[in-house]
Amino acid sequence: METKQILGLLTGVLFGFALHRAGFSRCGIVMRGLAFKDFTMLKVMLTAITVGMVGAAVLATFFPEYANLKVKPLYVWGVVLGGLIFGVGMSIAGYCPGTALVGLGGGVRDGLLTVLGGLTGALVFILVYPAIEPVLMKPMDLGKVTLHEVLGVPYLAAALVMAALFAGIIAWLNRLESRTS
Amino acid sequence: MIANRVSHEAVETRVRKGTLPPWLIWGGMIGLTQIFAIATVQPLGVSTAYPQFVGWLVDKIVPGFAESQPYLQKIGTKLGWEVMLVFGMALGALLSRMLNGRSTGEGATCAVDPVPFRSAWTRGLMAFVGGFLILFGARLAGGCTSGHMLSGIAQLALSGFVFGMAAFAAGVLVAMLMLRNQSAQEG
Repeated sequence: METKQILGLLTGVLFGFALHRAGFSRCGIVMRGLAFKDFTMLKVMLTAITVGMVGAAVLATFFPEYANLKVKPLYVWGVVLGGLIFGVGMSIAGYCPGTALVGLGGGVRDGLLTVLGGLTGALVFILVYPAIEPVLMKPMDLGKVTLHEVLGVPYLAAALVMAALFAGIIAWLNRLESRTS
Repeated sequence: MIANRVSHEAVETRVRKGTLPPWLIWGGMIGLTQIFAIATVQPLGVSTAYPQFVGWLVDKIVPGFAESQPYLQKIGTKLGWEVMLVFGMALGALLSRMLNGRSTGEGATCAVDPVPFRSAWTRGLMAFVGGFLILFGARLAGGCTSGHMLSGIAQLALSGFVFGMAAFAAGVLVAMLMLRNQSAQEG
Protein backbone atom coordinates (compact mmCIF):
# COMPACT_ATOMS: atom_id res chain seq x y z
CA MET A 1 0.00 0.00 0.00
CA GLU A 2 1.04 3.57 -0.64
CA THR A 3 1.60 6.01 2.24
CA LYS A 4 -1.59 7.90 1.34
CA GLN A 5 -3.68 4.73 1.51
CA ILE A 6 -2.21 3.81 4.91
CA LEU A 7 -2.91 7.33 6.18
CA GLY A 8 -6.48 7.08 4.88
CA LEU A 9 -7.02 3.76 6.66
CA LEU A 10 -5.51 5.06 9.92
CA THR A 11 -7.59 8.27 9.80
CA GLY A 12 -10.70 6.20 9.09
CA VAL A 13 -10.08 3.89 12.06
CA LEU A 14 -9.73 6.90 14.40
CA PHE A 15 -12.83 8.57 12.91
CA GLY A 16 -14.97 5.41 12.98
CA PHE A 17 -13.87 4.48 16.50
CA ALA A 18 -14.79 7.93 17.86
CA LEU A 19 -18.15 7.97 16.02
CA HIS A 20 -18.97 4.51 17.38
CA ARG A 21 -18.10 5.53 20.94
CA ALA A 22 -20.22 8.66 20.55
CA GLY A 23 -23.19 6.39 19.73
CA PHE A 24 -23.58 6.93 15.96
CA SER A 25 -23.94 3.23 15.07
CA ARG A 26 -27.52 3.63 16.28
CA CYS A 27 -29.77 5.43 13.82
CA GLY A 28 -32.04 6.75 16.57
CA ILE A 29 -29.40 9.26 17.70
CA VAL A 30 -29.77 11.15 14.39
CA MET A 31 -33.57 10.83 14.21
CA ARG A 32 -34.05 12.07 17.78
CA GLY A 33 -31.41 14.73 17.21
CA LEU A 34 -33.21 16.13 14.18
CA ALA A 35 -36.51 16.11 16.11
CA PHE A 36 -34.75 18.02 18.96
CA LYS A 37 -35.50 15.23 21.44
CA ASP A 38 -31.80 14.60 22.14
CA PHE A 39 -28.92 17.05 21.66
CA THR A 40 -26.10 14.44 21.60
CA MET A 41 -25.75 14.56 17.80
CA LEU A 42 -25.59 18.37 17.73
CA LYS A 43 -23.14 18.52 20.63
CA VAL A 44 -20.76 15.94 19.11
CA MET A 45 -20.89 17.62 15.69
CA LEU A 46 -20.42 21.14 17.02
CA THR A 47 -17.55 20.02 19.29
CA ALA A 48 -15.81 18.29 16.37
CA ILE A 49 -16.31 21.32 14.11
CA THR A 50 -15.08 23.75 16.77
CA VAL A 51 -11.86 21.79 17.44
CA GLY A 52 -11.27 21.36 13.70
CA MET A 53 -11.96 25.05 13.07
CA VAL A 54 -9.30 26.24 15.53
CA GLY A 55 -6.88 23.54 14.34
CA ALA A 56 -7.29 24.34 10.65
CA ALA A 57 -6.81 28.08 11.18
CA VAL A 58 -3.79 27.57 13.48
CA LEU A 59 -2.19 25.22 10.90
CA ALA A 60 -2.90 27.65 8.05
CA THR A 61 -1.49 30.61 10.00
CA PHE A 62 1.60 29.13 11.68
CA PHE A 63 2.38 25.91 9.78
CA PRO A 64 1.10 26.54 6.24
CA GLU A 65 3.11 23.59 4.89
CA TYR A 66 0.86 21.29 6.97
CA ALA A 67 -2.43 22.99 6.09
CA ASN A 68 -3.88 20.81 3.33
CA LEU A 69 -7.15 22.71 3.23
CA LYS A 70 -9.83 21.99 0.64
CA VAL A 71 -12.67 24.49 0.38
CA LYS A 72 -15.63 23.28 -1.68
CA PRO A 73 -17.24 25.54 -4.32
CA LEU A 74 -20.64 27.08 -3.68
CA TYR A 75 -22.77 26.34 -6.76
CA VAL A 76 -26.01 27.53 -5.19
CA TRP A 77 -28.63 25.32 -6.88
CA GLY A 78 -26.76 22.05 -6.51
CA VAL A 79 -25.65 22.70 -2.92
CA VAL A 80 -29.12 23.77 -1.77
CA LEU A 81 -31.08 21.06 -3.61
CA GLY A 82 -28.49 18.41 -2.72
CA GLY A 83 -28.64 19.56 0.91
CA LEU A 84 -32.43 19.28 1.00
CA ILE A 85 -32.39 15.76 -0.51
CA PHE A 86 -29.60 14.83 1.90
CA GLY A 87 -31.60 16.11 4.89
CA VAL A 88 -34.66 14.03 3.97
CA GLY A 89 -32.48 10.92 3.52
CA MET A 90 -30.57 11.49 6.76
CA SER A 91 -33.84 11.74 8.65
CA ILE A 92 -35.48 8.60 7.30
CA ALA A 93 -32.31 6.48 7.38
CA GLY A 94 -31.01 7.86 10.67
CA TYR A 95 -27.55 7.79 9.14
CA CYS A 96 -25.24 9.94 7.05
CA PRO A 97 -22.73 8.34 4.63
CA GLY A 98 -20.11 8.12 7.40
CA THR A 99 -22.24 6.90 10.31
CA ALA A 100 -23.83 4.22 8.07
CA LEU A 101 -20.35 2.67 7.85
CA VAL A 102 -20.07 2.91 11.63
CA GLY A 103 -23.41 1.09 11.86
CA LEU A 104 -22.09 -1.54 9.46
CA GLY A 105 -18.88 -2.01 11.46
CA GLY A 106 -20.92 -2.00 14.66
CA GLY A 107 -23.02 -4.91 13.37
CA VAL A 108 -26.27 -3.02 12.87
CA ARG A 109 -28.37 -4.36 9.98
CA ASP A 110 -29.71 -0.92 9.03
CA GLY A 111 -26.17 0.41 8.68
CA LEU A 112 -25.52 -2.24 6.01
CA LEU A 113 -28.80 -1.42 4.25
CA THR A 114 -28.00 2.30 4.24
CA VAL A 115 -24.53 1.61 2.80
CA LEU A 116 -26.13 -0.54 0.04
CA GLY A 117 -28.72 2.17 -0.65
CA GLY A 118 -25.87 4.68 -0.74
CA LEU A 119 -23.89 2.67 -3.29
CA THR A 120 -27.05 2.47 -5.45
CA GLY A 121 -27.64 6.22 -5.12
CA ALA A 122 -23.99 6.88 -6.04
CA LEU A 123 -24.31 4.65 -9.13
CA VAL A 124 -27.49 6.46 -10.25
CA PHE A 125 -25.75 9.80 -9.72
CA ILE A 126 -22.84 8.68 -11.93
CA LEU A 127 -25.33 7.79 -14.69
CA VAL A 128 -27.42 10.98 -14.52
CA TYR A 129 -24.47 13.36 -13.97
CA PRO A 130 -24.13 14.35 -17.66
CA ALA A 131 -27.81 15.44 -17.66
CA ILE A 132 -27.90 17.34 -14.35
CA GLU A 133 -24.43 18.90 -14.28
CA PRO A 134 -25.19 21.66 -16.86
CA VAL A 135 -28.51 22.50 -15.15
CA LEU A 136 -27.75 22.29 -11.41
CA MET A 137 -23.97 22.37 -10.95
CA LYS A 138 -22.60 24.71 -13.63
CA PRO A 139 -24.82 27.80 -13.19
CA MET A 140 -24.68 30.12 -10.16
CA ASP A 141 -21.23 28.86 -9.17
CA LEU A 142 -19.79 31.38 -6.71
CA GLY A 143 -16.54 29.42 -6.43
CA LYS A 144 -14.55 28.41 -3.34
CA VAL A 145 -15.63 31.30 -1.12
CA THR A 146 -15.00 31.51 2.62
CA LEU A 147 -16.56 33.68 5.32
CA HIS A 148 -13.31 35.48 6.15
CA GLU A 149 -12.65 36.30 2.49
CA VAL A 150 -16.14 37.75 2.05
CA LEU A 151 -15.83 39.80 5.24
CA GLY A 152 -12.22 40.74 4.50
CA VAL A 153 -10.94 39.74 7.95
CA PRO A 154 -7.89 37.63 8.92
CA TYR A 155 -8.56 33.86 8.82
CA LEU A 156 -7.37 33.10 12.38
CA ALA A 157 -9.43 35.94 13.91
CA ALA A 158 -12.59 34.86 12.08
CA ALA A 159 -12.04 31.22 13.09
CA LEU A 160 -11.50 32.09 16.76
CA VAL A 161 -14.62 34.28 16.91
CA MET A 162 -16.72 31.60 15.18
CA ALA A 163 -15.27 28.88 17.44
CA ALA A 164 -16.18 30.95 20.52
CA LEU A 165 -19.71 31.35 19.17
CA PHE A 166 -19.98 27.58 18.57
CA ALA A 167 -18.65 26.86 22.07
CA GLY A 168 -21.36 29.15 23.44
CA ILE A 169 -24.03 27.25 21.50
CA ILE A 170 -22.69 23.91 22.82
CA ALA A 171 -22.77 25.18 26.42
CA TRP A 172 -26.30 26.51 25.90
CA LEU A 173 -27.53 23.19 24.42
CA ASN A 174 -25.94 21.34 27.32
CA ARG A 175 -27.66 23.53 29.91
CA LEU A 176 -30.97 23.29 28.08
CA GLU A 177 -30.74 19.49 28.07
CA SER A 178 -29.73 19.11 31.73
CA ARG A 179 -32.59 21.37 32.74
CA THR A 180 -35.26 19.45 30.81
CA SER A 181 -34.10 15.95 31.76
CA MET B 1 5.90 21.17 28.64
CA ILE B 2 5.49 20.28 32.34
CA ALA B 3 2.34 22.38 32.59
CA ASN B 4 1.07 20.57 29.54
CA ARG B 5 1.63 17.17 31.14
CA VAL B 6 -0.03 18.23 34.39
CA SER B 7 -3.11 19.47 32.59
CA HIS B 8 -3.20 16.28 30.54
CA GLU B 9 -3.17 14.21 33.72
CA ALA B 10 -5.85 16.42 35.19
CA VAL B 11 -8.01 15.75 32.15
CA GLU B 12 -7.40 12.00 32.46
CA THR B 13 -8.39 12.06 36.11
CA ARG B 14 -11.59 13.89 35.24
CA VAL B 15 -12.35 11.32 32.54
CA ARG B 16 -11.86 8.52 35.08
CA LYS B 17 -14.17 10.23 37.54
CA GLY B 18 -16.68 10.52 34.74
CA THR B 19 -16.97 14.29 34.84
CA LEU B 20 -16.15 14.75 31.15
CA PRO B 21 -19.22 13.68 29.17
CA PRO B 22 -18.77 11.21 26.26
CA TRP B 23 -20.01 13.72 23.66
CA LEU B 24 -17.20 16.09 24.64
CA ILE B 25 -14.50 13.39 24.63
CA TRP B 26 -15.52 11.79 21.33
CA GLY B 27 -16.53 15.02 19.63
CA GLY B 28 -13.09 16.36 20.60
CA MET B 29 -11.44 13.18 19.29
CA ILE B 30 -13.20 13.64 15.93
CA GLY B 31 -11.89 17.22 15.88
CA LEU B 32 -8.33 15.96 16.54
CA THR B 33 -8.76 13.33 13.79
CA GLN B 34 -9.75 16.19 11.49
CA ILE B 35 -6.57 18.11 12.37
CA PHE B 36 -4.52 14.94 11.71
CA ALA B 37 -6.25 14.50 8.33
CA ILE B 38 -5.59 18.14 7.33
CA ALA B 39 -1.96 17.96 8.45
CA THR B 40 -1.31 14.74 6.49
CA VAL B 41 -3.49 14.61 3.35
CA GLN B 42 -6.79 16.54 3.20
CA PRO B 43 -9.86 17.34 5.34
CA LEU B 44 -12.25 14.51 6.24
CA GLY B 45 -14.75 13.62 3.53
CA VAL B 46 -16.70 10.39 3.12
CA SER B 47 -19.19 10.61 0.25
CA THR B 48 -16.72 10.71 -2.71
CA ALA B 49 -15.63 7.20 -1.80
CA TYR B 50 -19.06 5.73 -2.60
CA PRO B 51 -19.09 6.56 -6.36
CA GLN B 52 -15.35 5.82 -6.55
CA PHE B 53 -15.86 2.37 -5.08
CA VAL B 54 -19.04 1.55 -7.02
CA GLY B 55 -17.36 2.84 -10.23
CA TRP B 56 -14.34 0.61 -9.56
CA LEU B 57 -16.65 -2.36 -8.89
CA VAL B 58 -18.86 -1.89 -11.99
CA ASP B 59 -15.75 -1.35 -14.12
CA LYS B 60 -14.54 -4.82 -13.03
CA ILE B 61 -17.84 -6.35 -14.24
CA VAL B 62 -18.41 -4.11 -17.28
CA PRO B 63 -14.95 -3.21 -18.65
CA GLY B 64 -14.79 0.35 -19.97
CA PHE B 65 -17.53 1.65 -17.65
CA ALA B 66 -15.23 4.06 -15.80
CA GLU B 67 -13.93 5.51 -19.07
CA SER B 68 -17.43 6.03 -20.46
CA GLN B 69 -18.74 7.99 -17.47
CA PRO B 70 -17.82 11.70 -17.22
CA TYR B 71 -18.33 11.75 -13.44
CA LEU B 72 -15.90 8.86 -12.93
CA GLN B 73 -13.44 10.62 -15.22
CA LYS B 74 -13.66 13.58 -12.87
CA ILE B 75 -13.30 11.80 -9.50
CA GLY B 76 -11.39 8.68 -10.60
CA THR B 77 -11.92 5.07 -9.54
CA LYS B 78 -8.66 4.61 -7.70
CA LEU B 79 -8.94 2.96 -4.29
CA GLY B 80 -7.02 5.82 -2.72
CA TRP B 81 -7.19 7.85 0.50
CA GLU B 82 -10.96 8.38 0.37
CA VAL B 83 -11.91 4.71 -0.12
CA MET B 84 -9.36 3.59 2.47
CA LEU B 85 -10.83 6.13 4.92
CA VAL B 86 -14.24 4.55 4.44
CA PHE B 87 -12.90 1.00 4.98
CA GLY B 88 -11.10 2.30 8.06
CA MET B 89 -14.30 3.78 9.49
CA ALA B 90 -16.13 0.45 9.42
CA LEU B 91 -13.01 -1.18 10.89
CA GLY B 92 -12.75 1.44 13.64
CA ALA B 93 -16.38 0.87 14.61
CA LEU B 94 -15.78 -2.90 14.68
CA LEU B 95 -12.70 -2.37 16.85
CA SER B 96 -14.61 -0.15 19.26
CA ARG B 97 -17.37 -2.73 19.52
CA MET B 98 -14.90 -5.56 20.19
CA LEU B 99 -12.96 -3.62 22.82
CA ASN B 100 -16.17 -2.58 24.48
CA GLY B 101 -17.01 -6.25 24.92
CA ARG B 102 -20.70 -5.78 24.30
CA SER B 103 -22.76 -5.47 21.16
CA THR B 104 -26.12 -6.57 22.50
CA GLY B 105 -27.39 -3.05 23.00
CA GLU B 106 -27.36 -2.49 19.27
CA GLY B 107 -29.20 -5.56 18.13
CA ALA B 108 -29.76 -6.50 14.53
CA THR B 109 -31.95 -3.53 13.65
CA CYS B 110 -32.64 -0.08 14.97
CA ALA B 111 -35.65 -1.39 16.87
CA VAL B 112 -33.78 -0.71 20.11
CA ASP B 113 -34.19 2.96 19.38
CA PRO B 114 -37.47 4.82 19.59
CA VAL B 115 -38.05 4.88 15.85
CA PRO B 116 -41.56 5.21 14.48
CA PHE B 117 -41.69 2.18 12.22
CA ARG B 118 -41.23 -0.92 14.32
CA SER B 119 -41.71 -3.41 11.50
CA ALA B 120 -38.33 -4.70 10.41
CA TRP B 121 -39.40 -4.57 6.76
CA THR B 122 -40.55 -0.96 6.72
CA ARG B 123 -37.55 0.08 8.77
CA GLY B 124 -35.18 -1.79 6.44
CA LEU B 125 -36.74 -0.16 3.38
CA MET B 126 -36.37 3.26 5.03
CA ALA B 127 -32.71 2.58 5.74
CA PHE B 128 -32.11 1.65 2.09
CA VAL B 129 -34.10 4.53 0.56
CA GLY B 130 -32.53 6.97 3.03
CA GLY B 131 -29.11 5.69 2.00
CA PHE B 132 -29.96 6.26 -1.65
CA LEU B 133 -31.05 9.84 -0.95
CA ILE B 134 -28.06 10.81 1.22
CA LEU B 135 -25.58 9.70 -1.42
CA PHE B 136 -27.49 11.23 -4.33
CA GLY B 137 -27.93 14.49 -2.40
CA ALA B 138 -24.33 14.54 -1.17
CA ARG B 139 -22.91 14.00 -4.67
CA LEU B 140 -25.18 16.72 -6.11
CA ALA B 141 -24.04 19.12 -3.37
CA GLY B 142 -20.39 18.01 -3.53
CA GLY B 143 -20.13 16.71 0.04
CA CYS B 144 -21.91 15.23 3.06
CA THR B 145 -21.92 15.73 6.81
CA SER B 146 -18.17 15.24 6.95
CA GLY B 147 -17.03 17.05 3.80
CA HIS B 148 -19.45 19.97 3.92
CA MET B 149 -20.08 20.30 7.66
CA LEU B 150 -17.22 18.84 9.75
CA SER B 151 -14.66 20.04 7.17
CA GLY B 152 -16.47 22.79 5.26
CA ILE B 153 -17.80 24.74 8.22
CA ALA B 154 -14.50 24.19 10.09
CA GLN B 155 -12.75 25.95 7.17
CA LEU B 156 -15.42 28.69 7.22
CA ALA B 157 -16.49 27.69 3.69
CA LEU B 158 -19.78 29.32 2.70
CA SER B 159 -20.77 26.14 0.81
CA GLY B 160 -20.58 24.26 4.13
CA PHE B 161 -22.89 26.70 5.93
CA VAL B 162 -25.40 26.68 3.03
CA PHE B 163 -25.38 22.85 2.81
CA GLY B 164 -25.73 22.54 6.59
CA MET B 165 -28.72 24.87 6.71
CA ALA B 166 -30.48 23.13 3.79
CA ALA B 167 -29.83 19.64 5.20
CA PHE B 168 -31.00 20.58 8.69
CA ALA B 169 -34.11 22.40 7.42
CA ALA B 170 -35.28 19.33 5.48
CA GLY B 171 -34.06 16.85 8.10
CA VAL B 172 -35.75 18.59 11.03
CA LEU B 173 -39.04 18.86 9.14
CA VAL B 174 -39.12 15.15 8.26
CA ALA B 175 -37.93 14.03 11.72
CA MET B 176 -40.55 16.17 13.47
CA LEU B 177 -43.26 14.60 11.28
CA MET B 178 -41.95 11.06 11.88
CA LEU B 179 -41.54 11.38 15.64
CA ARG B 180 -44.55 13.61 16.36
CA ASN B 181 -46.49 10.77 18.02
CA GLN B 182 -43.57 9.69 20.16
CA SER B 183 -44.14 9.98 23.89
CA ALA B 184 -41.66 12.09 25.79
CA GLN B 185 -40.26 9.28 27.92
CA GLU B 186 -39.57 7.17 24.86
CA GLY B 187 -37.68 9.99 23.16
